[in-house]
Amino acid sequence: MEERKASKRCGGALPFIIGFLATCVLGWAVIPGMFYEKVEQPIWFSHAVHVDGEGMDCESCHYFRDDGSYAGFPTNEVCAECHAVDPEEAMEAIAEEGIDPTDYEAIMKAELGVIEDNLASSDDDKMQAEREYVVKYLIQGKEVPWLNYQYQPDNVYFSHKAHAELDIAELAEMKKELSDVVDPAVFEGEAPEQNCNLCHVKDISTNDVPPAFERNILSGYSKMTMKMWKCERCHALKGQPNACYTCHK
Amino acid sequence: MSVARRAFIQMSVGATVGILFTPTVWKALDDVSIWTQNWPWIPTLKYGEVKGVPTVSKMCESGCAVKVRTVAGEAFGTEGNMENPLSGGGVCPLCANGVQVMNSPSRIKAPMLNGEEITWEKAQEVVAEKLEAAGSKVAVISGDQTGTVNEVFSALLADKGSDAFYTMPCDMQAADKAWTGLMGGSGQVGYDLENSDVVLLAGADALESWGPTVANLKAFAANESGKFYFAGPMQTKTASVTDKWVPVPAEGMAAFTLGIAYYVLQAGKTAPVADFGQFKAMVMNDYSPAKVEAATGVKADMMAAIAKDLLAASNPVVVPGGSVAAHGAAFALNLLLGGGMKALPEFGKAVGTAMSRSEMLKADILEGVSTDLLFVYEANPAYALPEQVKAGFTVAFDSVNTETTAAANLVLPTPHCYERFEDLASPYGVVSATYSLGAPVSKATLNVKNAADFILGLADLGFETYEEVLEAKVEAVGADMDELVEGGAFVAEGDAPVAASMAASELGKAAVPVKGSGSVGLAPYTLLNVGTANQATTPNAPCTISNNQLVGDYMVVMMASATAKQLGVEVGTKVKLSGGNGECEALVQIFEGVLPGIVAAPLGMGHTVGDEFSKGKGDNVYKILTVSSEAAAGASTWAGSTVNVAKI
Repeated sequence: MEERKASKRCGGALPFIIGFLATCVLGWAVIPGMFYEKVEQPIWFSHAVHVDGEGMDCESCHYFRDDGSYAGFPTNEVCAECHAVDPEEAMEAIAEEGIDPTDYEAIMKAELGVIEDNLASSDDDKMQAEREYVVKYLIQGKEVPWLNYQYQPDNVYFSHKAHAELDIAELAEMKKELSDVVDPAVFEGEAPEQNCNLCHVKDISTNDVPPAFERNILSGYSKMTMKMWKCERCHALKGQPNACYTCHK
Repeated sequence: MSVARRAFIQMSVGATVGILFTPTVWKALDDVSIWTQNWPWIPTLKYGEVKGVPTVSKMCESGCAVKVRTVAGEAFGTEGNMENPLSGGGVCPLCANGVQVMNSPSRIKAPMLNGEEITWEKAQEVVAEKLEAAGSKVAVISGDQTGTVNEVFSALLADKGSDAFYTMPCDMQAADKAWTGLMGGSGQVGYDLENSDVVLLAGADALESWGPTVANLKAFAANESGKFYFAGPMQTKTASVTDKWVPVPAEGMAAFTLGIAYYVLQAGKTAPVADFGQFKAMVMNDYSPAKVEAATGVKADMMAAIAKDLLAASNPVVVPGGSVAAHGAAFALNLLLGGGMKALPEFGKAVGTAMSRSEMLKADILEGVSTDLLFVYEANPAYALPEQVKAGFTVAFDSVNTETTAAANLVLPTPHCYERFEDLASPYGVVSATYSLGAPVSKATLNVKNAADFILGLADLGFETYEEVLEAKVEAVGADMDELVEGGAFVAEGDAPVAASMAASELGKAAVPVKGSGSVGLAPYTLLNVGTANQATTPNAPCTISNNQLVGDYMVVMMASATAKQLGVEVGTKVKLSGGNGECEALVQIFEGVLPGIVAAPLGMGHTVGDEFSKGKGDNVYKILTVSSEAAAGASTWAGSTVNVAKI
């Protein structure tokens, strides 16, 4: 009898509600963030320096090739058009100094003329980022393993060319229907000339410090990876085919 | 039950229900499902610019002009090169798998001396020592018919006072022995398949394995109005698309051709050579259609009909295959007819002391090689000529393991042709002298060295590197290096053929059909997807080999039902074929497109060394070929091989 009374006092719906609300709060506010780890890009790349500072346009690095494929991240070949350090000469100088060519810190510390004289940056911090790029990648003949915020797996065929004509101003008419697919902020203000913001980090072209890449700890995908339902939603709204083979070739 | 426990359970239930109202569970399930698709062993794609990089491939005997498809600089496939006349956009089945072979686990990874890995410096030391000791007893066997690398090897021989340069047996050699040797002609013989109105393929399986197969196919496709005959002991793939198949045994091909010449001479055709009268008398007396019919089984009416077509044509051509006699007879017939046979000029040499191509083709490997020091360059004599080659010390250059590298004392790995500078000068059969060149498409990932660079380190031949040799070659050719590297070809038109003689006395004797003593004739045939004497089948090709060549691991031989009845065998019977000094095992298939009394067997199988695609597949028909002497022509031939067939 005693126990039953106590139970009535402390029990009922209250513990249930507490448990319910607690996990609701955790499930909405805390746990989703735990699915991702933040990873920095391999080197600091400032779009602002290249676009505002050097007056480059997007197509200088991100362009369509003659066959319609998209260049995506620039290769060393493209970067070397401006960062004109000769890898052969640099390696010869490193060998002359007796430095291990894979000891990046030692190479940077040695401040070799063949590298230093060809750095384009003026600020110390930017020069250090450029030096890192040259030493770790350019002269080593290794491409920078940039982290792709919009990573898609190999079984998805995405053509930038097929999406190049999408117009943000036009899509703004269906921003309500697209609210789950595209960040509504993209449709605010005057629509930019290019439609990159639809899928990519907003206004990345003026970004100075690239945001961290948020990697899903289970799937390995980027937090920004567009899921299939989003592709399908937009295709449906635009009257485009949604057959499997449209994207899974 | 305590209050706390009850409350805890109630809270847990609430928490469980609550979590279902959040995205957590569903997201976790979704992520886990994606995680299960991302196993570490699943290959990932490489992304980047897709290019078609022009170069040349040497996997088939004539070589192909190709474009290697790369993504972000990494080779992944091969396609034809539209800009090069050798390809016209096409590629042969062997060269089509160049990248797969380049990445094969069967590649040789480092220099090996008697099975032990050594350094290149040590290899250089060993070879220099052997070279010193061998004096002039040095020989070279080259599996490359068209490369300037042969100039480097032959210059080394000249430096040592040797002329023992051998090529693997090929139609180019038989043609040269007949044309420049017997008939006193000059240049390399070529054939205008595209513009000839009547083409007699006298033993040349031109659309499958003879000559520049890809260029032949393009010419055949472009020659819509031309009439094509194929003469041979079996209805090959070439025969299946020509206007007419004329069943002729290989050993009877020369007599058959002279039988046609009989009608052509009868029609009053002449040739401006000193022994024309002697030639005419020889043909009219010894190769009358009745006599040829008796010797070969080919009806006189058939020869008359072909001769009529050839005589009526404005630009006829006869394309031979097989023995030296068969080539001589065809060249004589072409001289009478005029038309599509051409004499191609040879390009200038890069290495002054090197042999000319014709000189390189003089030594006959079928007569045997015995030497103190032997260099084998990308050839497989241990597979195709197991009894003919004897050497005190063998140095084998190759990019993949073969029977020859397995038997060699010293194995020196070469880069794959997509990893090196390589050239391709006038493959035998092309209508115009053609020069192509390729630069490396991929960086070599193994401890390899170009054979020519290695040889240039052994003797002072006037060049430090093979790249310098090729620059000199391009200059001697008169071509532009940049244009060649971009995939174009340098082309020099062929001339009308001029001979000093029609080799009347030699042909009169050599054209007589001679057969071995076996119970049935052997018609060996080559399919490029099955392989050649030097190149085993390639990784993607086995799935294209039909049940008429291979069933399981058993080779298949084809014969007409009359032959099967004579031998007491039927479809699927397991048989042993004995010929030469060897034996082969095979299954029987009935095909009425094989001459009665003949067994057709595919060459290129039965490798004992190699990758999973070729090793242990079928049997090696080279073991049962019989070398017979064409004494009158000063050559040897496999034509006329016979075998005994016994049920197992």
